[in-house]
Amino acid sequence: MSTLLEKHIVELLHEGNDKAISLLYEHYGDTLYGVAFKVVRNEEIAQDVLQESFVKIWNKSHTYDPAKAKLFTWLFRITRNTAIDKIRSLSNKTDKEIQLDVSDVYNVGKEEIRPELIDMNKQLDKIEAKYRIVLEALFFEGMTQQEASEELGIPLGTIKSRLKIGLRELKKIYGAASLLLFTLMQWL
Amino acid sequence: MVMKEKVRIFLDTDLLEKYLLGNTTAEESARVERYIAMYPEVRKTYHDLEENLEAFARLYSRKTPEGLRERIFSNIKNQRSGRRRFMRYAIAASIAAMFFAGSSYFFWNQNQSLQHENAIVNNKIRVLEADMKEQLEDVRNQFIVLNNPQTRKYLVNGNQKARDLKAIAYVNPVKKLSYINVQNLPQLPENQCYQMWAEVNGEMVNLGILRDLDDKDKLMALPYGEKAMSYITIEPEGGNTSPTVQNIVANIKY
Repeated sequence: MSTLLEKHIVELLHEGNDKAISLLYEHYGDTLYGVAFKVVRNEEIAQDVLQESFVKIWNKSHTYDPAKAKLFTWLFRITRNTAIDKIRSLSNKTDKEIQLDVSDVYNVGKEEIRPELIDMNKQLDKIEAKYRIVLEALFFEGMTQQEASEELGIPLGTIKSRLKIGLRELKKIYGAASLLLFTLMQWL
Repeated sequence: MVMKEKVRIFLDTDLLEKYLLGNTTAEESARVERYIAMYPEVRKTYHDLEENLEAFARLYSRKTPEGLRERIFSNIKNQRSGRRRFMRYAIAASIAAMFFAGSSYFFWNQNQSLQHENAIVNNKIRVLEADMKEQLEDVRNQFIVLNNPQTRKYLVNGNQKARDLKAIAYVNPVKKLSYINVQNLPQLPENQCYQMWAEVNGEMVNLGILRDLDDKDKLMALPYGEKAMSYITIEPEGGNTSPTVQNIVANIKY
C-alpha cells in the first residue's frame, strides 16, 4: 500500500536513524499493539511486548531485507514472536500469577467499546465470525490449515473454503480503505 | 504440467503460511525462498498473503496508551547510549591496544638498532685495537731503528724538478728496517701528487701517496731489501699504478 513511506522508513532504519522508530510507531504502533494484545490478552503485558518489540526492531534493523518480506510482515513477526515468548516465559515462571492475569484478561469488555476502537471493530464485524476464526487461526495462532481443522473441529475442505471467503471479505474492506488512502494521497 | 503439480503440492504444505509468520526452520525458509524466487505463482501467493496479513492485522488495531511512546523512546535511547558507551570503551581499548602495539614495536625497533649499533661499536673497538697494536709495533720499530747505533741516516734532496724536497731516510741493515721522513714537499698543481715507490729484489712496490702536511712528522716504513731503491715521483692526482720514470724527483739507495 504505502510503499513510498515503507521505503523511507527502511532507509532510515538502515541508517540507524531513530526517526525511523518515530515513523514506525506512528504508522504501525496501533496495529502492532493490537497484535500483541490479541496474543497476550492483557493491556499491561501487551505494552511490555510492544516496548520489547520496538527495541528488537531497532536492534535488528540491519537484518531486515526488503526483498524477502514487506516491512509490516517483518514487524508482525517480531511482535507476534515477542508476544508468544512473553506468554511462555510468564506461564513458565509463575503459573499462579498468570492464572490471575488470565481471569483479568477476559474482562476486556469495557476496553472493547472505547470510542476510537469502534470503527475498527465495526470493520472486523463485517467479516463473519466463522471466517474470522479461520483467519485468526492462520495469522495469529500460526496454525497450518490442517492444524486449524483439528483444533476447530472443522473439516479441512471447509477450512479452505472459509479461508477463501474470509480473505475475499477482507479484500473488500481494505480494498475500500486503500482506495480511500489512494484518493487522499492524490489530494496531498 | 510437472512444474504446476510441484507448485500445487508446495502450496498445499502450508509452508508459505508458516514462513509468512516466521515459523519455519532455516532449512524450510531456504526452500520457501527458492520457490518464491522460481515460481511466479508462489511469489504472487506470498505477496497476497502479506497483503492479507497486514489488512487483517489492521482490523485489530488498538489505540496505544498515553506515555507508551515515550517509554519506548527512552528505552531505545538508553540502548543507543549503552551502545555508544560500549563503542567508547571499544574505541578506548582499541587505542590502548594500538598504543601498546606501537610502543612494543618502537622498543623492539630501538632494541634492534641498539644491538646493531653495539655490533658496530664492538667492531670498531676491535679494529682500533688492531690498529693500535700495529701502530705501537710501528713506533717500537721506529724507536729501534732510530736508537740503534748501526742505523744510518741519509739526507734526501730533490732534483731540479723539486729542489725544495727534503727528506731523511733511516736504514738499519742489521734489523732489516728502513724508514723515511719527508720534511718538505714543494707545492704541486692541484691535479698532481707525490708518490713513493720502492724497488726491492727487482720488484716495484707502490708505497702510496705523500701528503705533505700529514706526513711531516711521520716515519714511513720502507720495505727492506739488499740494494733496495726508493723513488719519489710526481704522478697525476690520486696516484699511479707504476712510477713515471721521467718524473722522478728523488731517489734513495740503501
